[in-house]
Amino acid sequence: MLSRAPAAPFTRLAPFADAQFSLETRTAALQRFFELRSGRERPSRYWRVDLDAVGVDDLELDPAGGSVEIACSDARVRVGAAPPSLGMSAASQTKYGALALAFANRYAFVSVPSGIDVEEPIVVTYRARESTLFPYTSIHVERGARAMIIERIDGGAHAFVCGITEIVTGEGSEARLATLQVLDDDSRFFSTRAALPGKDASIEILTADLGAELVVGEIDVRLLAQGADAQIVSLFFPSDRQHVDLRSTVDHRVGGARSQTIVRSAANERGQGRYVGNIRIAEHAQKSDASLRDDALLLSPSAHIDSVPALEIGANDVKAYHGATVGALDGEMLFYMTTRGIDREQAERMVTLGFFEPAVERYPAQLREEIRERLAARAQ
Amino acid sequence: MSAEVGLSISGLRCQVDRKEILKSIDLTVEPGRVHALMGPNGSGKTTLALALVGHPHYAVTAGSATLDGQSLLTLSPDKRAKAGLFLSFQYPAAIPGVKVANFLFAARQAVKPGGDVTPAKFRALLVERMEALGMDASFLGRYLNDGFSGGEKKRLEMLQMAVLAPRYAILDETDSGLDIDALRHIGETIAALRSSDEGRATGLLVITHYPRILRYIKPDVVHVMLDGRIVKTGNVELANRIEREGYEVVRAESGAVA
Ligand SMILES: Nc1ncnc2c1ncn2[C@@H]1O[C@H](COP(=O)(O)OP(=O)(O)OP(=O)(O)O)[C@@H](O)[C@H]1O
Ligand SMILES: [Mg+2]
Repeated sequence: MLSRAPAAPFTRLAPFADAQFSLETRTAALQRFFELRSGRERPSRYWRVDLDAVGVDDLELDPAGGSVEIACSDARVRVGAAPPSLGMSAASQTKYGALALAFANRYAFVSVPSGIDVEEPIVVTYRARESTLFPYTSIHVERGARAMIIERIDGGAHAFVCGITEIVTGEGSEARLATLQVLDDDSRFFSTRAALPGKDASIEILTADLGAELVVGEIDVRLLAQGADAQIVSLFFPSDRQHVDLRSTVDHRVGGARSQTIVRSAANERGQGRYVGNIRIAEHAQKSDASLRDDALLLSPSAHIDSVPALEIGANDVKAYHGATVGALDGEMLFYMTTRGIDREQAERMVTLGFFEPAVERYPAQLREEIRERLAARAQ
Repeated sequence: MSAEVGLSISGLRCQVDRKEILKSIDLTVEPGRVHALMGPNGSGKTTLALALVGHPHYAVTAGSATLDGQSLLTLSPDKRAKAGLFLSFQYPAAIPGVKVANFLFAARQAVKPGGDVTPAKFRALLVERMEALGMDASFLGRYLNDGFSGGEKKRLEMLQMAVLAPRYAILDETDSGLDIDALRHIGETIAALRSSDEGRATGLLVITHYPRILRYIKPDVVHVMLDGRIVKTGNVELANRIEREGYEVVRAESGAVA
């Protein structure tokens, strides 16, 4: 097997071996990266990147690349030490998740002990520089605890960022994970997120991708415990020549769990986007309740967004809904606004921002203004 | 020409989807005066209103429309609003995600730039105007017309008019679907606007099917439109007569072809 993969990348792993992940673990992960396929075809002829051809040969692999900062004002939260859930998720079993594990070099480990209610959000900031950054976030919210984690990924001139975020929660807990990715426009970002909510736990995963020239994202939520409630909210806005390719999979393996996926996106100029929203309901997962809603807005004739909802339903007594729309700005809305003195461009900007607003309002207050500003900048 | 005041429409013809709807309209609303415009369904009242504010689907093929001497027809809709024209829509658009307060602030800034209004001061003004319209201040945080009832949309149109203080306002069936209290509130709002410094000289063109609203907004002139033409002009007695006898009489008198 190993002979099929080029040898050189493996020799570059050694400097990355550390207390978290041994050279063996990393070698196995890198092998998976070369063996696995991305499962992502080019969505359209405008799409410039072959997602199976991304390699590491041209990367400046630096174990000291980028930085991480964790801000948490609650002393009861354990920050820094690897939580017991580390590696428990399926994140590193995907192509880019495996790559992230192989070269993982910046960590944010957060454990929220059972029963506590963390008032202030826990803020994890990853900052890329010129080379590579492989962030690994692992979050464990124990039984009955409540917490919000903000993950911010910024910086990065020509950077290559490839990370994993996993979150495992206990019974009756409430966890929110909000990610804002605002890398420089010439960077590439690959992210793999996996969530495993506990029994009767509610979990919310919010992602806003408003930076980088290439974004490849994977969100995997496994519902293995009864009464779990998972919410995914994604927003993205490729502009200029950016490509954003996101996929979420909500896997109802047990009955009586709920999930809701809400996607809002727009594309401007030659921006290209795709959202593949998978919902799977296993044969025995009766009384599952799953929905997915994906709305996309095209702001230029060369912009393109594919919205691909996919339902696989094995059980017969379930509620499952999916809906997707792709469209342009509504002329009657714009006209109405202009009759109030608002010029056409401002009206377009306001309607575009308004289109995102219901999703933006789901984000923690600390991020909302920045998200709005960045959306507005892209709506120009 | 430029010394001429009023919202002046002359020989105006308008097509929608290549079909002529307005067949030469002449009408002048003077500052501070109220003109009522009545007419059966489909006679072209809304077409006139939308053509005046510059709806892209309404093609003016002949005639002129000026606002205090300034030609409107070459202006984009936002420039017409800045010139002082306002339309209270028969069917206002809903704009999800755009909050009422933000929208009103943006509109006010656009129409009255460099005004002294800070957001806080503006909000206070809004709340006061909303009270007069019987609207709860919570509407400010809602999305524009999104999920509003018919009557709530009409009240919001009136709130916008009160806030923008236009020189000329067209009210397209603002009274339809309103309860009697709302009608009275709207009458009061218009009265307040017209007694304010900003709105003293506001001229109104009130499109309606019912003389009822004309008890609250007393018209100086009443026009009747039939098949894209103004066929009769009179005073409030004309409105009452139509209420009693219907449009058939006017139609017969004017000799209009049905
Ligand atoms: N977009 C359009 N496409 C085709 N016909 C149109 C369009 N808009 C208006 N019309 C036609 O133009 C005519 C005048 O319509 P308009 O809406 O101006 O009438 P109105 O006098 O306002 O009627 P109402 O009292 O019912 O509001 C009608 O016959 C209508 O069907
Ligand atoms: Mg009408």
